[in-house]
Amino acid sequence: MTASHHHDRIELTREVIPSAAIAREVRADEDGAVATFDGCVRNHSHGRRTLHLEYEAYESMALAKMREIAEHLHEHYAINRVGMVHRLGRLEIGETSVFIAVSSAHRAAAFDACRYAIDTLKKTVPIWKKEFFADGAVWADGELPPAPEASAAAETPAAKPASN
Amino acid sequence: MLVKVLYFGRLKELSGSSEESVELRDGARIEDLFACCSSSRPELRKFRASLVAARNREFAAWDTPLHAGDEVGFLPPVSGG
Repeated sequence: MTASHHHDRIELTREVIPSAAIAREVRADEDGAVATFDGCVRNHSHGRRTLHLEYEAYESMALAKMREIAEHLHEHYAINRVGMVHRLGRLEIGETSVFIAVSSAHRAAAFDACRYAIDTLKKTVPIWKKEFFADGAVWADGELPPAPEASAAAETPAAKPASN
Repeated sequence: MLVKVLYFGRLKELSGSSEESVELRDGARIEDLFACCSSSRPELRKFRASLVAARNREFAAWDTPLHAGDEVGFLPPVSGG
């Protein structure tokens, strides 16, 4: 359970995601729009019938990265509040794996911020999905998050340029 | 110095553990840690090009110097959402 100074709701959970309650919570009286994204478990993957999924996370880092996404939304979009909850553990077909809700005075910012949030979550948040089929299970193809090519110069003071 | 290593997803299955403590020489970097962890696990070594490392919950370059007590995660491509 976390709440930043923005009244955001950023969580990982092993329970059913209370999507309707989250969408309700992010709305305040100054808002004219709540955009939501409901990511759910589909019954097929690469032409095979999926039986169920299992999600796992590097939980402390995943939460930190989700909070970074929310902070980015507040800095770059005219939005009010963010709800972002990802479920872990076993999920059945049709269940919600991730739910994102963004409120704003006007719809464009809410839509844009919500889209940015899910796209970025899928690329940078350390969560993994295993797909179970009738004849076995595989870790889903994913995206390799961008990492620095070389460590920061700050780590090696000798490499700092003279500043006078 | 002692550092904590975490494996996730298929790396956890390949390495046969989710967490271990590794003793490294002072001044070791993330690439040295990976070399150490994968020396007895050829399957893990093959994965080097398709994983990223995190140091203390932040994505980190392979040449990042480590300090005692650091937590290093080896992360396969992410697939949340």
